[in-house]
Parts: sequence; structure tokens; C-alpha cells
Amino acid sequence: MTAGDAAADAGDRRKAGGATILRYRDVVKRYGTFTALAGVSLDVHAGEVVCLIGPSGSGKSTLLRCTNGLETLDGGDIEFEGTRLARDERGLRTMRQRMGMVFQNFELFPHQTALQNVAEGPRTVLRMPTAQAERRAAAMLAKVGLADKAANHPAALSGGQQQRVAIARALAMEPDVMLFDEPTSALDPETIGEVLSVMKALADEGMTMVVVTHEMSFARRVGDWVAVFDAGRIVEQGPPVRIFDAPQTVRTRDFLGHLGWAG
Amino acid sequence: MTLDWSVVWQHRDALAAGTAMTFALTVATMAVAVPAGIVVAVLRMYGPPPLRAAATAYVELFRNLPLILVVYWAFYVVPILTGLGLSALATGLAALSLNVTAYNAETFRAGINSIRRGQAEAAMALGMSRSQALRRVVVPQALRRITPVLASTWVSLFKDTSLVSVIAVSELAYVSMQLRAQTFRVLEMLTAMAVLYWLLGYPQAKLVDWIQRRYQVTE
Repeated sequence: MTAGDAAADAGDRRKAGGATILRYRDVVKRYGTFTALAGVSLDVHAGEVVCLIGPSGSGKSTLLRCTNGLETLDGGDIEFEGTRLARDERGLRTMRQRMGMVFQNFELFPHQTALQNVAEGPRTVLRMPTAQAERRAAAMLAKVGLADKAANHPAALSGGQQQRVAIARALAMEPDVMLFDEPTSALDPETIGEVLSVMKALADEGMTMVVVTHEMSFARRVGDWVAVFDAGRIVEQGPPVRIFDAPQTVRTRDFLGHLGWAG
Repeated sequence: MTLDWSVVWQHRDALAAGTAMTFALTVATMAVAVPAGIVVAVLRMYGPPPLRAAATAYVELFRNLPLILVVYWAFYVVPILTGLGLSALATGLAALSLNVTAYNAETFRAGINSIRRGQAEAAMALGMSRSQALRRVVVPQALRRITPVLASTWVSLFKDTSLVSVIAVSELAYVSMQLRAQTFRVLEMLTAMAVLYWLLGYPQAKLVDWIQRRYQVTE
């Protein structure tokens, strides 16, 4: 599907009127001879939850990592809030401050308490005084329901709690967009729900989110827009109702069929 | 053979001063070699290519030279080459520091490499620079992980300071040897020296064991 098709879908794109936060144009990424992204185009509007779904290795996570410059592009363009993604270290740093990222493996800093983890960004990057940074961190922990775990080190938290701390850590930078890279894939089934409900609450507040996920019911229920990846391309994108109930392409039907999605 | 252990007690002040010097040398060497080791490791891993090569060359040179040779070399050759006349103490400290910095650099490099890449990525995703990510996230974790190794290096260093006795730095080994020569009480003085090193070294080794248990990495 091309950029033109995406624009044609604007009719059933509820939040298409919002400012474009992220615009991907023909994004290409290669690792040696392997093409991870073979020309991906996608728009993300303010307040939207855009879910990236598709089989493993289809390029979803790579697109997310390109978004905040953890990977460099080999072709195409990414615009963030109307500005082309910086190629230099300093410019990238400024942009990353406005993009929160949540990793599959949490990547909390194990030598710090939950509170220190969340305060780290404001303290080190925004140069906020420690007391003020910790006040903000405490508020963020409360927001994800972990006010009572502030003094715990990550090793003393469950997977679901660690991921909620990681979300709080990203939120403490007050980002304009949150990038979630398979946030529940490393979790025990019983803790997936608590993370998804924090994400749902964020979405309800109007946070712009790009979510790489295998949780189809989350994409269906919370997503405003769903992009289906296969072999480094978006094979189909549209509102969740259409993707899940009336998929247009064979690849989407195959993928959802494999997951046992009834449709 | 008659043994006269009283010579040890008679020279207790000199032995105490030598022991103090041994401790001072160990502390001063580590005070130089820990920060310098971090700098060399970081240069070797992230520095611009010429500095990277220089750091690698430095480590490979000093890791593979006998310490006693470095001590002699610093004492006799450096003044000829540079015209600098450092005191024996400063020379000894420099030689020890050059040697231990090279070892520490390798220890830090291993420690930093052992921290998975996602940690630095998470720090950079918050907007940190590469050096902030190193300082705030990677190095503190690496330090914890390598504390037992540093502690072992410390114990080795404590004993290796005896090598600077060859350039007349009045640490414990030098003092003991001098007393041996003055009193002709070879067995007594060498035994006293062994006992002192052991009594001082054993608790340090036990402390290392404790540190190893204490800082086991939990993630």
C-alpha cells in the first residue's frame, strides 16, 4: 500500500484531523544483504494509537528503532513534528527527549530504585534538581499504580511491574509520542493485563502512541489505526474494524488466521 | 643455630613505617589506576581511531612486561631519556600505576562489554548522550560487576609493591631487607616480613571473598 492509499483512508480515520506527529516515507533499512524495511510509508497523527502488527521479523520493531534513531535509515525519510529526523547526535538527542520508548525487555537500570529509574531522565537529560525530578518520578509511578514500589530495585519487581516502571520512566520526560516495542512479549500471561490497562489509560488521555504488538485484542480495542507488516512492507493499513473484520489482503488474512483470530 | 627474635621487636618502628608505606603505595596506585583504567578502557572502546590504537598499544605493552623491569626502566632509563629526575617514591608509584592501569583497563573493558546493549539504548532513548549513558548507566553497573576482580587486583598489588624495594623505596620489603643486612638476622627478619605480609594480606583476601558475595549481580 502506498502513501496515496493511506490518504484515501482518511475518511474512516477518526483522528486524521490531528497534526501529523510522525510521517514515514518509503523508509528503507538493510542489515547487510537482508532488507528489514523495503519502503514503508505511514502517518501517525496527534492523539492516535497506531498498532504495528505482523509476523516476527517483518520489520515492525526496526521501524520503531528507526523512529528515534537507534537505527539509521538506508533510504526514505522520517519526519517528526514536521521536521526531518536529525542525522547528527545532538539533533537526535533533542528529538529523543520528546519520544518515549518502552522496550520488550524493560531495560530498567538495575542499579537504581524504581524512583531513581524514573527520575533519571529529568535529572540527567533535563538537568532538573534531584528533589524536583524525584517529585515528578513519584507522580509518574503513582500514575502507573506503583507508588508503593518507589524504593524497590527492579530485581524485586515482577515483570509487569518492571514494564510499568519503564512506562513511567518514558512518561517522566513528558514526551509527545510513546513508542512501544512489543511491551508485553516478555511478560507472564498473568501480568500482561496490568501493562495493557496502563497503556489503555494513556491512550484514553490522548497520548500519541505507536505500538508494536502481538496482542490482537489490544490492537483491535485500543488502536485507532493498524498497519500490517510482512517482509519489510506494510501490506495493509486501516482502522482496526476493517483490518480485523474485513482484511483486504491474503497476507493479512493468513497472518490473522495463524493467530486463530476469528475475524 | 640460635635465634634472636628480639631484633624484630627492636626494629618495630622501622617495620611499622615500612608497612605504612606499603599501604600508602597500594592506595595511591589504585587511586591513580582506577580512574586511569576507566579512561583507557573507554578510549580503547569508543575513542577516535588514533587514540583507540594508542590505548590498545599501551595496554598490550604494560600487561606483557614484568613489573620489575618497568620499575628498573623507569628508575634508570627515563631520567637518561628525559632528563627528569623523579624521586624513587614517585618513580615506584609511576611504575606500579602504569602496570595496574593496564590491568584495570582490561577489567573495565570486560565489565563494560558485559552490560547488554539495551541498557545504553534505553539511556539514549531518554535523550542522553553516549557519554552520559556510559557515566550514569553503563559504568556504574560495570563497576559493580567487576568489584571482585578489582579487589583481587588490590591484593596482588599489595604484595607487588614489594618490587619497588629494588629502587630503594622504603616500603615493608625494603625495610626488612635493610634490617636483615644490618643485623645479619636473616631468618628472623625474613620470617617477620612473611608474617607481616600474611597477616595484612589474609584479611584483605577475606574481604575480597565477602565483596564477591555482597556484589553478586542480580538483575
